[in-house]
Amino acid sequence: MSALGHYIEEEGIPTVAVALVRPQAERTRPPRALWVPFELGRPFGPPSDPAFQKQVILAALRLLEAKARPVLLADFPEDDPREAPDPRWCPPIESPLPFPPPQAGEGMGGGFLADALEAEVAALARPYARSCAERGRTTVGLSGLAPAAAAEYVAAWLRGSPQDSPLADLSPVLCLRFAVDDLKAYALEAAITAGTRPSSRQLGDWLWNDTAIGAAIRALRRQLADSADDRTKLIGTMFLVPALRVMPGG
Amino acid sequence: MRLEELPAAQAERYATLECPSFNTTPWVEGPPLARRRVAIVSSAGLVVRGERPFRGREADYRVIPGATRADQLLCSHISINFDRTGFQEDWNVIFPLDRLRELAAEGTIGSVAATHYSFMGAAEPSQMEGAAREVAGRLKQDNVDAVLLPPV
Repeated sequence: MSALGHYIEEEGIPTVAVALVRPQAERTRPPRALWVPFELGRPFGPPSDPAFQKQVILAALRLLEAKARPVLLADFPEDDPREAPDPRWCPPIESPLPFPPPQAGEGMGGGFLADALEAEVAALARPYARSCAERGRTTVGLSGLAPAAAAEYVAAWLRGSPQDSPLADLSPVLCLRFAVDDLKAYALEAAITAGTRPSSRQLGDWLWNDTAIGAAIRALRRQLADSADDRTKLIGTMFLVPALRVMPGG
Repeated sequence: MRLEELPAAQAERYATLECPSFNTTPWVEGPPLARRRVAIVSSAGLVVRGERPFRGREADYRVIPGATRADQLLCSHISINFDRTGFQEDWNVIFPLDRLRELAAEGTIGSVAATHYSFMGAAEPSQMEGAAREVAGRLKQDNVDAVLLPPV
């Protein structure tokens, strides 16, 4: 975040920014920045590759020793080796229900997807637990709901029944957003297995093209896009399905 | 990110995103890296589990104690348009605290700060100024003289 570099260095502390979007660093003009060619979300490059990550960190920190003047904008020369797919990776489960449904139309209603979502979340429990044990952690937790409870909450929205927030200090639609965040993390973490090195695209293709969770979140997006409430509509259209995964027509 | 590899419309959007403009750029020097105390100030919307996640374009910050473990850190950045699988597999992709500890242990950097911080990078930059200057004050109290600013 290049603007932070201005504010903090003006207070007398040397800073170096990592920049994922080079034109932004060029225009914000922080004191020092290292542009990296990695995808958004990976400022230090590949996961589980300490040597590569250390190269990136040191390339950035060494700019602090440069006898230069602002603006010092350097480029990291190597691409992320994890952008390549791993043919050994395979999905953690088969879809627990016939999915996608055999024909569009009646069977594609929210009820079908709500059932499929809950069944899939249950089926992913074992691979998720195994993955958590392998990684020693989970990033699920923004909603404060256990995965099954998050699935139940999202499924209830899909079925169209009015929803109170199960959490005292979260509005219903904000709780929905966090529950969806958690379900995406839950599914993706279940798909991360030791010994394979899937690319983010492999994992995303599986989530958005081949799972009931992905289909249910897409359906929820379409449903909320028609909401009369502006905030619900905004969260539904902007904060559930990544822009690159939105299909024509929603 | 290589903009030339994105769909044209998306590349154009990133290339022309509104950015704050600054008339001058500060420049502060310091000792060799081996004597520096390094802190991370992330803009990934990181929160320690149990703390209040970022909910919108909030311009405040969260404190991440240096003893935080990987299983305690969550990412609550409001954008859904960046990869999270890297962070899910390995927190160092966004918050490289293990790597900083290793660099300190081998003497490449002097030490790792006692406390780190996170903002939520989709906030309006000018609204973050006060909080950023407050963070700078806290960093100075911790004798930090090198700040690594990763985005997400």
